[in-house]
Amino acid sequence: MADIKKEELLAEDTQKGQFMTFQTGKEFFGISISYINEIIMMQPITAVPEVEDYIKGLINLRGKIIPVIDVRARFKMDPIEYNDRTCIIVINVKSIVIGLIVEKIAEVDTIREEDIVPPPSLSRSSSEQNKYVYGLAKTEDTMKLLIDPEKLIKEEDMEDLEAMEELKSEEE
Amino acid sequence: MAEEFNMDGMLDMFLYESGQLLENLEGIILEKQDADCFDEADINEIFRTMHTIKGSSGIMLYDNITKVSHKLEDVFYYLRESQPENVPHVELVQKVLAVSDFISGEMDKIREGDKADGDETEIVADLDEFLKRLKGEIKEQGIRLPKENKHKEPSQFYIAPVASEESHFYRIVIHYRNDTEMSNIRAYSATYALKDIAEDLLYTPEDIITNEESADVILAEGFYMLLQTKSDTDEIVGLINSVEAESIDIEEITAEQFGKGLAEISTDVSEPISIDLGGEEPKKEPDKEKEKEAVKPGDYVVKSKETGKGKTLAKNQPKKQSIISVNVEKMDALMDLIGEIVIAEAVVLQNPDLQVPGLDLTNFQKASAQLSKITTELQEVIMSMRMMPLTNVFQKMRRIVFDISKKLGKDVELEVIGESTEVDKNIIEHISDPLMHLVRNSMDHGIESDPADRTALGKPEKGKVTLEAKNEGGKVYISVRDDGKGLKKEKLYEKAKNNGLIGDKEITDFTDNEIYRFITLPGFSTKEEVTEYSGRGVGMDVVVKNIQSIGGRLEINSQEGHGSEMTLVIPLTLAIINGIVVQVGNSRFVLETASVKEFIRLTEDAIVQEPGGEEYIVLREQPYPFIRLGQKYQLSDSQVQVQDGIVVVLEHEGEQVCLLIDKLIQEQEIVVKPIPSYVKKVKGISGCTQLGDGSIALILDIAGLIQDEERS
Repeated sequence: MADIKKEELLAEDTQKGQFMTFQTGKEFFGISISYINEIIMMQPITAVPEVEDYIKGLINLRGKIIPVIDVRARFKMDPIEYNDRTCIIVINVKSIVIGLIVEKIAEVDTIREEDIVPPPSLSRSSSEQNKYVYGLAKTEDTMKLLIDPEKLIKEEDMEDLEAMEELKSEEE
Repeated sequence: MAEEFNMDGMLDMFLYESGQLLENLEGIILEKQDADCFDEADINEIFRTMHTIKGSSGIMLYDNITKVSHKLEDVFYYLRESQPENVPHVELVQKVLAVSDFISGEMDKIREGDKADGDETEIVADLDEFLKRLKGEIKEQGIRLPKENKHKEPSQFYIAPVASEESHFYRIVIHYRNDTEMSNIRAYSATYALKDIAEDLLYTPEDIITNEESADVILAEGFYMLLQTKSDTDEIVGLINSVEAESIDIEEITAEQFGKGLAEISTDVSEPISIDLGGEEPKKEPDKEKEKEAVKPGDYVVKSKETGKGKTLAKNQPKKQSIISVNVEKMDALMDLIGEIVIAEAVVLQNPDLQVPGLDLTNFQKASAQLSKITTELQEVIMSMRMMPLTNVFQKMRRIVFDISKKLGKDVELEVIGESTEVDKNIIEHISDPLMHLVRNSMDHGIESDPADRTALGKPEKGKVTLEAKNEGGKVYISVRDDGKGLKKEKLYEKAKNNGLIGDKEITDFTDNEIYRFITLPGFSTKEEVTEYSGRGVGMDVVVKNIQSIGGRLEINSQEGHGSEMTLVIPLTLAIINGIVVQVGNSRFVLETASVKEFIRLTEDAIVQEPGGEEYIVLREQPYPFIRLGQKYQLSDSQVQVQDGIVVVLEHEGEQVCLLIDKLIQEQEIVVKPIPSYVKKVKGISGCTQLGDGSIALILDIAGLIQDEERS
């Protein structure tokens, strides 16, 4: 028992402070790698009608059907053409598995706790995208925006989802 | 001992076990409801069942269940031992059912996380009174009175209280019945019970909680404890007593012996105090002989013909199958994986790389044929694993017929045909309630209340309800047939008209079938009086809704004066459907084959457009609503012109809708998968599937489309 716990702790330790960074437009974003399942190439996407425009549709991940969302569209940025640098980051947030379409994967970066600063409060209210950004990380040359994936998929969506699930269980 | 007593696993086990037992119990009772009495085997079985439930509910501390089952156990104990004549059988049957209802009710509460707080006093008093009546004059023969076992401290064993300034040392051996489940857990309950009085406690086997195999050791050799305490034997027995055990041997030992530990002491046995708690199972031969001569108070013994074989006997009973219970999630996972294999297989076998001209594929073809055979078989096996016979559902119906015929004073016999018909487990869960409704309706509205009405029509006095299930062409037909009054068309018509359900059309405007369908309209009830069982005007519409939700339908047939027949037609399974893959724009959709009526090519002339923008197709002088799928879902590159695409006529529950699609791809078996819950529910789409090339197609929900259309 104790050994396993130690190993888990170690695993957590090695993941701690590690961020997967990707580039969208000229900004760099980072997601804690503990959320990340894998990164896959762009896949053929089956569109689902009548859903929010940032939900691009469904992909077949080795037999598992998962939804994918376009990070640019989520941030209400102008859409761009997908090319061969476009990737899907498959994340697992509280056992919801979702793919994030990003323009370009940058690298895995170690960011020390003390390098992370909360976003300036002024911009928090003024800019739409900042509600997904919980911190700014200063690395050697760039400023990285750290995304909270829970917020990214949550906010209105998760609440809807939870409400729907509640409804469902009530019906049952 | 520091760890807290974890009840979760035990609770599941308890609920599962007791649920099975109750089901079994009801089966026996209903099978014998029309007989004159229970035979010996039944009495033993019921007794055993109650005993087990009593024991396990005792461990789980559900007092009311324990008391009730205990009381019924007493009744059956008496029946078994004294074999009295003139037992009022019907009354007995009702008593047993009442108990089983009570316990299932409590178990439902427990399952939902509520407290099992049902009041048992009434049932207990009722049973008490019944038992007293049974006993009547034989009482003086020294039959044990009910209150005397388990719940009282066995006052028969009196041991002079020892001065309690000092501690005493005891060696305790508990033997469990050799078919006891989870004896390790029970042993742990015993140690737990002693926790408060124990100054020191040693026990063996030591790993009772972590090692499940210790259960076997305990069963074989007993559970040994060394206890240092200030309490006396009575108190110890009292504490351990709440745990189901066959016997508890307690022996006072010296401190030195205690110090030596368990290994030493087990050989050093003087004359132990033996307290027989009375397991009901077969015991060792000499024991049994002794008991025959002098049955100790509070001691229940089954007169089994072969001792020590209780377990094997049960296994040999013809009805029982060797079954393991598997978590449904695991089954689903396996099902998914097999779906994957089927798809992967298609990907390999139809791989474009194989299309090279002049490639010799003879061996490949052979191997792939073999592979296909195996995967098909695999699919069949997993499907059959999900199938369950309708036996349990039909069992419930027996119960309902029994109850209602007693309550309404109607003499009705239930005939059951084809109860072994198998249906997907998911579907079974959905048909139980609708079926119950139909049976109630037949009993209540169908069968005449006055037998004279029946004889006047040349029918036997006894009403008959037939429950029949059969499997035909991928569908299961379950029909409820009665030989009662039948539906009166005029009456139905009047009623529907008066309730404003059909406007002011003449009765001749409707076919017989349409008139029968009136009863499925919401707010329609032909029964003037509302009875306990039916006639509230909710019911048939709910039945129809439930059946539709699993892709089935209800057929109604009736002949006035001769009875009616309601047939549920339901699909065998929900997980795999036959579908037609079509293309619209760049997207692929699946239509359930059964709902497709025809494909036609039309020109724009056939389309009528309302000013509001809604479109209709007039086909053979009938208008149908028309949906251009590409437009509705805003799919790019889809055909806009009717003449460039194909129109599909779809039907669901007698309602039609036409869809414009681009082209047909193929017909194939479709493994239905849910749309990930993160994506909001889209009207008109019920799921998705993976096609042979790995791409995803959405499954169209015809009912949803029609509803959506009606709303707009």
